[in-house]
Amino acid sequence: MFPGVDGFHWSPVHIVFLTAFGAVLTVLLITLAMAALRTWRDFRNGCAASIVWHSDFEDLPRSERLCRHAFEGSAPGRVCDRGFDCRACETHPKLTAIETRHPAPLTAGLHYPEGRLYHRGHTWVEPQPDGTAFIGLDDLGARVFGAPERVELPAAGSLLAVNGPAWRMARNGSEVIVRSPVDGEVLAHGAPGCDWLLLVKPAVSSAPFRHLLSGAEAGAWARAETDRLLLLLSASPAGAALADGGALMPDLRQAMPDAPWDEVAPAMFLNV
Amino acid sequence: MADIPWVPAAMFDRKFVPRGAARCGTAQFSLWLTPWFFLLGLGLWAGYLCLRDGLYHTNMDNRFAFGLWIFLDLAIIAFGGGAFFSGVLLYFLKLKELSAVIRSAVLIGFLCYSGAVTVLMVDVGQPLRAWFTFWHPNTHSMLTEVTFCITCYLVVLSIEYLPVLLRNRQIRKIPSFLVFEWELHKLMPVLAGIGAFLSFFHQGSLGGLYGVLRGRPFAFRESFGIWPTTFFLFILSAMAVGPSFILLTTRLVEWISKRTLVLESVYVKLARISGWMLTFYVLLKSVDTMVWLNSTSRRGGFLPWEYYSWEPFGVWILFVEIGVFGFLPAVWLLRAGRVPTRSLVVPALLACAGIALNRYVLTVQTLALATLPFDEFLSYTPSWQEVAVFGGVAAYGVIVYSILYRYTKLFPQER
Repeated sequence: MFPGVDGFHWSPVHIVFLTAFGAVLTVLLITLAMAALRTWRDFRNGCAASIVWHSDFEDLPRSERLCRHAFEGSAPGRVCDRGFDCRACETHPKLTAIETRHPAPLTAGLHYPEGRLYHRGHTWVEPQPDGTAFIGLDDLGARVFGAPERVELPAAGSLLAVNGPAWRMARNGSEVIVRSPVDGEVLAHGAPGCDWLLLVKPAVSSAPFRHLLSGAEAGAWARAETDRLLLLLSASPAGAALADGGALMPDLRQAMPDAPWDEVAPAMFLNV
Repeated sequence: MADIPWVPAAMFDRKFVPRGAARCGTAQFSLWLTPWFFLLGLGLWAGYLCLRDGLYHTNMDNRFAFGLWIFLDLAIIAFGGGAFFSGVLLYFLKLKELSAVIRSAVLIGFLCYSGAVTVLMVDVGQPLRAWFTFWHPNTHSMLTEVTFCITCYLVVLSIEYLPVLLRNRQIRKIPSFLVFEWELHKLMPVLAGIGAFLSFFHQGSLGGLYGVLRGRPFAFRESFGIWPTTFFLFILSAMAVGPSFILLTTRLVEWISKRTLVLESVYVKLARISGWMLTFYVLLKSVDTMVWLNSTSRRGGFLPWEYYSWEPFGVWILFVEIGVFGFLPAVWLLRAGRVPTRSLVVPALLACAGIALNRYVLTVQTLALATLPFDEFLSYTPSWQEVAVFGGVAAYGVIVYSILYRYTKLFPQER
């Protein structure tokens, strides 16, 4: 088969055969090498976090990929196809222009201050006059996870990417990744007891917070998220957790230790 | 409506199960696998006997050299054709609906081909000399082309399936794997193209090797260039039955798992593709049969009824293959969208049975029929070792598919 091996002849049949299969193997090897090279390049250029998010986003259940406009009524049932990044979305301005028919009241007992902007992964951003911004866990996120046993914050100077990992929290052996609401550089960590965890300098961009929710839209989303949480918990042996008119406990894990938190917590924090 | 994670109490492996996917408890899953592992063990034992003592354990001999193994090999390679054909339809003809089944199609292709290669290794024997076929090939044999193509295609299928594995809930925690998977996925059209190129030739050559048998008038066919008509019929039949087999397996998994895996429109699309290809194949097959019976065979000194005077291979087998397992399912599949989607399982099953019957006829009937005046009609019944080896391969397929269904997201539309 190969030159130098008994039985090989420099005849057209042998040459064509060898060339065809040599070409196939070469293309296969080049394909694998290109994929490896591009992977290395993605890490070097800092696009890895964005790629991981897009890959994760594809595997999120449909109910977790709903467009923000599905909550306030301008696009019921619409599924986002941009990884929750409305900054480059062409449909977002059109849907924003539609008058919301059903501004939803905020779920009783949840605290979502007006001046903050909210990310779909249950973090908030509070822009400061000096151009920096505080980042913290929103009220529903804090109630779902409760008091973490361990929090791994990124070091000062680290770069965050929207929807990439901002920090990790662990409790009872299970860990969740909290997604970053903004692109930017970490400047400082919040002291214990503060409601913010990171102070960041957002990356220069024409609309750095366009993808974040605020006002009535954030309220509608928080209510939908509460409904989703109740449905997730209703599959647990503990049964339905919230009667009409009740308020969520401050530490749901402690209140419902038998619930499948290994499933519920990742679902609420958009982890796959 | 949120996706409720139905988590059985005794699900010890839940950390590996895709989030939001409902799967049974670990004990129930183990119970499901147990009989298959038993069958696999039996197959391994039978395979070991054959490799240790040779084909003495089988009921094949020098005249009946192809038996159950080759017949089923050809059938499952045709069924696995859905992998390459779906890849072509998705990546080149942009039929996006098929993205719902492409992962399962690739896995089925991988299992079919790896299973076929395993059985061939037992059939050929001398596994320590397996590399001889690559190092000292007979470049004038169609089987050489088949060997090279199948080996290369198996590598392609493995690479094509790699992205699905890398998306497993635990494996994906390593970011570099996920980024590599993303980049590899972008190059998937290249792999689909290579897969189509290799499949075209090995599916064709598997048919071609019967069509060139001048000494077997039952199989010998006219040629276009160097390729007999069976070369093209095998390619077409694999393209026709591949989507039907995907439809069938997806419905089967839905039935066993009690989950909805794909939208109904995907079944309709698969059925229509299969229906059109099957129609085209059956028409050409009919023309080929008429030419063979009325011209090719007569020139070889054989009259058509001589082939069908040996029971059980009566003329009924021809009508069943072309009519019941050919035209009927083709028409039925083409009515997809106008008939209940669930009923499409029946024509898909008939289509698969038709292609299996075609491979059976070409393998077993060809060898059973007498060719020379002093020949006798031969009969062949596979030994338990032959059946067990193939049972082992079937069990391997079920086990691997079950495990990967449980731990990876084979169907992105699953709900």
